Amino acid sequence: MKAAATVANREAARSLPVEPTLVAASTSIWRKHIGKFLGNAEELFGVIVQPVLWVVLFGVGMRSAVAIGAGAGDDYVGFMLPGIVALSAMGGAIGGGMVWLDERVRGIVREYLVAPVPRLSILLGNVGSTLTKSLLQAFVIFVVGILMGAAVTGDVLGWLVAVLLLVGYAAGFSGLALAVASTTDDLMAYHAMIMLLNLPVLFLSNALYPLTALPTWMKVGALANPTTYLVDGIRRTVLGGSGDLPLLLCLAVTSAFAVLGLAAASRTFATKTKRG
Amino acid sequence: MNPTPDARVTVPAIEARGLGKTYRGGVEAVTSLDLIVPHGSIYALLGPNGAGKTTAISMLTTLTEPTSGQAWIDGLDVVNDAAAVRRAIGVTFQETVLDDALTGRQVLEFHGRLYGLSPSERRRRADELLDLTELTDAAPRRAKTYSGGMKRRLELARALMTVPRVLFLDEPTLGLDPQGRARIWDYVRALERRADLTVMLTTHYLDEAQQLADQVGIMDGGRLVTEGAPDALIDALGSDTIQVRGRGASQDLDHRFAEVAFVQSFSSVDGGFLLGVDSASRRLADVIALTTRAGFSIDDVSVAKPDLGAVFFQHTGRTLRDGGPA
Repeated sequence: MKAAATVANREAARSLPVEPTLVAASTSIWRKHIGKFLGNAEELFGVIVQPVLWVVLFGVGMRSAVAIGAGAGDDYVGFMLPGIVALSAMGGAIGGGMVWLDERVRGIVREYLVAPVPRLSILLGNVGSTLTKSLLQAFVIFVVGILMGAAVTGDVLGWLVAVLLLVGYAAGFSGLALAVASTTDDLMAYHAMIMLLNLPVLFLSNALYPLTALPTWMKVGALANPTTYLVDGIRRTVLGGSGDLPLLLCLAVTSAFAVLGLAAASRTFATKTKRG
Repeated sequence: MNPTPDARVTVPAIEARGLGKTYRGGVEAVTSLDLIVPHGSIYALLGPNGAGKTTAISMLTTLTEPTSGQAWIDGLDVVNDAAAVRRAIGVTFQETVLDDALTGRQVLEFHGRLYGLSPSERRRRADELLDLTELTDAAPRRAKTYSGGMKRRLELARALMTVPRVLFLDEPTLGLDPQGRARIWDYVRALERRADLTVMLTTHYLDEAQQLADQVGIMDGGRLVTEGAPDALIDALGSDTIQVRGRGASQDLDHRFAEVAFVQSFSSVDGGFLLGVDSASRRLADVIALTTRAGFSIDDVSVAKPDLGAVFFQHTGRTLRDGGPA
C-alpha cells in the first residue's frame, strides 16, 4: 500500500516541470520585486516624487537663470529632462543593488538557490525590476516636463529609440550596482562606493550644460561617460535637439555599457551563487 | 537511464556514501558520512552546534558541494542532478529566511511560482498548507507582523508548497518556546502520516530527536558516531545509567564490570565511565565499592534513566549542553 502510494505520488511530482525556463523564473522574481514596490507606499511615493522635484525645482529655477541657445532650443526644462531621466535610472539601479545586498545578507537568496531555477534568473529578475522602475520614472519625468512647458516632439520611431537608449543605460547601471552589491556585505560600504560614482555621472556629462560649452578636460570626461550618450540621444530623438553626437554612436555606447554592466554583474553573481 | 517506478521504491530517500566537506583553509566540517534513510521515515541528526549537521544538510540540499564522497536524493545525484534534486526537496533553514515584506500568502504564492506551479495549483496548495499550519487568519498580513513561531510555521508551509518527496528541516524549532516547539512537532508528525514524505531534520534538542525521529544519527566533530532508533539506542544502555567521573585508569574497569551480572553496558569516556545497570538504586553501593577497589578515585557519581543524552555521552564522552527545555 505504502509503496504504491509512494510511486503514484512520485509520478505526480515527476509530471511537474523539473526546471522552470529562464524567462519564467526571471519573471517570477521580477513580479515579486514589482509587487513589493507597488505595495510599499513610501518607496512608490519617493520614486515618483523625487524626479518631479528635480524637474520643478531645479529645472524651473535654472530656466530663470540661464538662457541656452544650443541643445534643446531656449527651454532649459526640456534641456535637462534627459539628465533627470539618467539620474533617476541611476537611483533605481542603486536601489536594485540594495535589494540584492539585502536578500544576500538576510539569506533570502537561499530560497532561490535551493529552487530548481537557472542562476541567471536571479540576476535578470533584479535587472528587470530596475528597468521597469526607470521606465516608470522616465514617463513621470516627461509628463511633468511637458506640464512645465518642455517642448516634446518625436515620432514613434524616435520614442522607441529613446526607450532603447534608456533601457541600455539603466541595464548597464543596474549591472554595475549589482556587481558592487555582490562584492560587499556592508550597506555603508556599498553606499560609499556608489556615491562616489553618482556625482561625476551627473555633473561630468552634458546633462546640465551643453557639451560645446565645456572646457576641453571636462569634455573628455563627459565623452567617457555613458550618460552623455543617453542624454544626447534623447535630446535628438524626442526633444527636437540637434545633438552633438551621431545617434548611432549613442546607441552603440549605451548598448555596450549595458553589456559591460551585465557582464560585471553576472561574473560576481557567479561567485556569489556558486556552491561553497 | 530512468529506473522503472517499481525499482525506484527500493532506492532510499536519502543516501550518502563517504560524504565529506573540507572547507578552504582546511576545516573539515563533515568526515566520511554514510547514511541510508528509507522512504516515509523521519531521521534526526542530533549533535551540538558545530558538529557538522548544517554542512551535511547543505550538501544534501545542493547548497554546498561535497569535497569527497557522493550522495543521492531518491536516486538523484546531488552534484550531477542538482536541478532534479532541487525539484524533489523542500528545505527550511536554521535561521528564519523570509521575505517579510510579503504577506503570508504572497510568500507561498511566490515560492510556488518560482517552481513553476500553475495558478490553480498554487492557490490550492497555499489554502491547504495555511490551514495545516493554522495561518489562514494571518495569511493576508505581512510576515513582518508574525511571531517567531508563526514565521517558522510559514517557512514549513513554504517548504511543502512544491509537494517535496524529501523535506529537510535545519533546527526547525530553534529559538521557539515549548508551546511553539510542540506545535511544530505536531505538524511534522502529521506530515509523516502522508506515507510518501521523508523528513530529515537536525536538532541539538534531545527531546526533539527522541519524540520525532524514527532514526537518530548522533554527530560530533563532523562524524556520525552512532545511529539507530532512539529507543534501541537507549535500551542498549540498560535500564538505568550510572555515570562516574574521577581520576584513574577506567580501561581495566571494563574487564571487572564485564564479569558482573547486573551490568548491561559499559562505556569508557574521558574522565570516567558510563554504566548501564538493571537498577541504579540497588546497585550504586556495589558499583562504588568495585570502582574504589580498582584504584579509581571518584569525584562525582550521577544516576539517570537513560536518554539520548546518555547515548551521546556514551559515544562522545561529553554532555550535549544546551539541550532542550524538556
